[in-house]
Amino acid sequence: MFTNAQIEIETLPKLEEVSLQAISRKYLNIILINKFIIFAVVYGALFIAKMFASDVLFTEYFWYLIIALTLILILNLVFTVLAFNKRKYALREKDVIYSKGLLFLKTTVVPISRIQHIEETRTWLARQFGLASLKLFTAGDSGTDLSINGLTTDEAKRINDFLSAKIDAED
Amino acid sequence: MQKIDFSKPVRQSPKGVVVIFGLKSVQFVRRFFVLFLALGVSILKKNSFANLGPFAITGIVALIIIGILVYSVLRYLNFKFYVTKDDFHLNTGILNKGNIVIPKSKIQNVNIKQNFLQQLIDVVSVNIETAGDDKSEIEISALDRANAKRLKEALFTSTERNVDSGDSILNPDVEDDKVFFKASIKRLLLEGISENHFKSFLIIISFFFGIYYEIKDYFENLNLEEQLENNINLVETALLGTFLITIAFILVFLVISMLFSVIKMLVINFNLEVIEHRKNIEINKGLFNKMSLTLTPSRIQNLVIKTNRFKEWLGLYRLSVKQAMVNKKQQKNFNIVALNAIQLEHLVAKLLKTYTSPKAYLKPEVYFKYILWLRLSIVFALLNAPAYFVIGNHFWLLNILFLAFTAIYVKVRYRKSGYQISEDFITITSGFIDSVTNILEIHKIQSIDISQTNFQHRRGITSVIISTAFKNVTIPYIKIEHAQHICDLLLFKVESSKKDWM
Repeated sequence: MFTNAQIEIETLPKLEEVSLQAISRKYLNIILINKFIIFAVVYGALFIAKMFASDVLFTEYFWYLIIALTLILILNLVFTVLAFNKRKYALREKDVIYSKGLLFLKTTVVPISRIQHIEETRTWLARQFGLASLKLFTAGDSGTDLSINGLTTDEAKRINDFLSAKIDAED
Repeated sequence: MQKIDFSKPVRQSPKGVVVIFGLKSVQFVRRFFVLFLALGVSILKKNSFANLGPFAITGIVALIIIGILVYSVLRYLNFKFYVTKDDFHLNTGILNKGNIVIPKSKIQNVNIKQNFLQQLIDVVSVNIETAGDDKSEIEISALDRANAKRLKEALFTSTERNVDSGDSILNPDVEDDKVFFKASIKRLLLEGISENHFKSFLIIISFFFGIYYEIKDYFENLNLEEQLENNINLVETALLGTFLITIAFILVFLVISMLFSVIKMLVINFNLEVIEHRKNIEINKGLFNKMSLTLTPSRIQNLVIKTNRFKEWLGLYRLSVKQAMVNKKQQKNFNIVALNAIQLEHLVAKLLKTYTSPKAYLKPEVYFKYILWLRLSIVFALLNAPAYFVIGNHFWLLNILFLAFTAIYVKVRYRKSGYQISEDFITITSGFIDSVTNILEIHKIQSIDISQTNFQHRRGITSVIISTAFKNVTIPYIKIEHAQHICDLLLFKVESSKKDWM
């Protein structure tokens, strides 16, 4: 039977009215630790280079380099913390919503019926904080898979179960 | 020709040994190309290679050939396939046995191809594609044409019967196997000439310089470079001379790239014909590599229609059919060139039953223009520095050209970009030299993104990125409220419909 009822756009469920949920604050620790490791390596490399370097130009400008790097570090940290608060997600009955980004805002919506499979990963560091990541694979371009990082283990399991049940029910 | 019973495990035609042998030999030569080159040069110079006499070299070559031959025979013997009610089965592998089962419902395409060697010995290869990655593709390299067609039918039958049993009763009057479209040589020539030659120009130029650097050493031995440099030094004294030579150089390359486009077009699309079947359409084409491709409408992710001003004036349109995750090389085969407007409309209607092309398109916000201006200005501003070194003090004159180009570019891009959402379809137009129309069915959507920068956020402008299993299309720079409406509507349609994406 073919029906063609008019759709009142105003009556449709609205994306902007969904209250998005923040991810676990603990995930900020993981991001920061990763950042510090990278910067520690760069600082270390610079100091080692200074110890062995004979190039005058390099030793002369060494402290400028360090200051520049520190500035980058501070800026990076500020941005990281601010951007962290923008990482939010929500589950609806029929889709998953994830939004992120401070300078480049992006909200992604994946209908549950289009999810091919779900991957739950827990890195060593994430395990120390009791966190997990969920990656939702669609058949779309490889770049369009949706990953939600920084969920608590319980949350991740609950979401995983919920989505898996939905996907199974549809087949 | 005897009929093969596909329900029992069968081998391909014994001629398959020849095809596999040919293919493997080509692969072998290609892999050790550098070695062969070295061998050739060495033999030319010293009449020997790595202290081996002519006799030993002949022996080694013979051994390699025998090796490939034995491998081909073994591969042929160990390659068996059969078709059951729902699946296609393939047993393969000499030492590492593989057993592949493909459900018929997951088969995306069955293509019949014939390369030059296969044309000589009168066999075709059958190529079975699923929506997986490139590696899951299966190729049966030698069957005679009649059996290949029967295999193809066997692979398509059960799925069709399962899926749309009601449909065939509704449309009993549709003719079978009607040749709907045949591209004449004249139209193919026109299509080739009206190509955007910029691309082949770049290919030719890079090819030329690639070769030049490869054989540079050789040139050096001949002292050619010195002579060339002398010549250039002579010319450099006269600026006008250099200018004229550059122009001549570019003209020669332009002519070459034009020829390249035309020949490429003719070779690939020689004898292009589109045949309408009851459920699907078949594309046949090719001069050296003949191929026959079948398109099932339900497997289509996007349709892309391309033309440009010149082509439009000549009445030439190109329809590209995009499917899920077919490899890039294969994707190109699903282009139907040299269609006229009526044929195009008919084909689109055949592939997307309820589609009607929109009468009017919605436009992006004017912000799109600012963004384009900004992007191009940055690029051109950066170009000023090299321009200064090349031209000298009058470099800023170039900016007038840049400005003129940007003005035209932005105007055209904006004029050509538009979008429309209908009951079942999204249509998006874009392009600068080309006019591109991208059509997708709403139920093929995989995910939707709303994407904006911080600046756009403050102005209430955003882009909507719609992904299908083929790739993303973007509705650029529209009002945020509008984007949200679109999102809500599309999600509603995708989530409330029972239709699957494949």
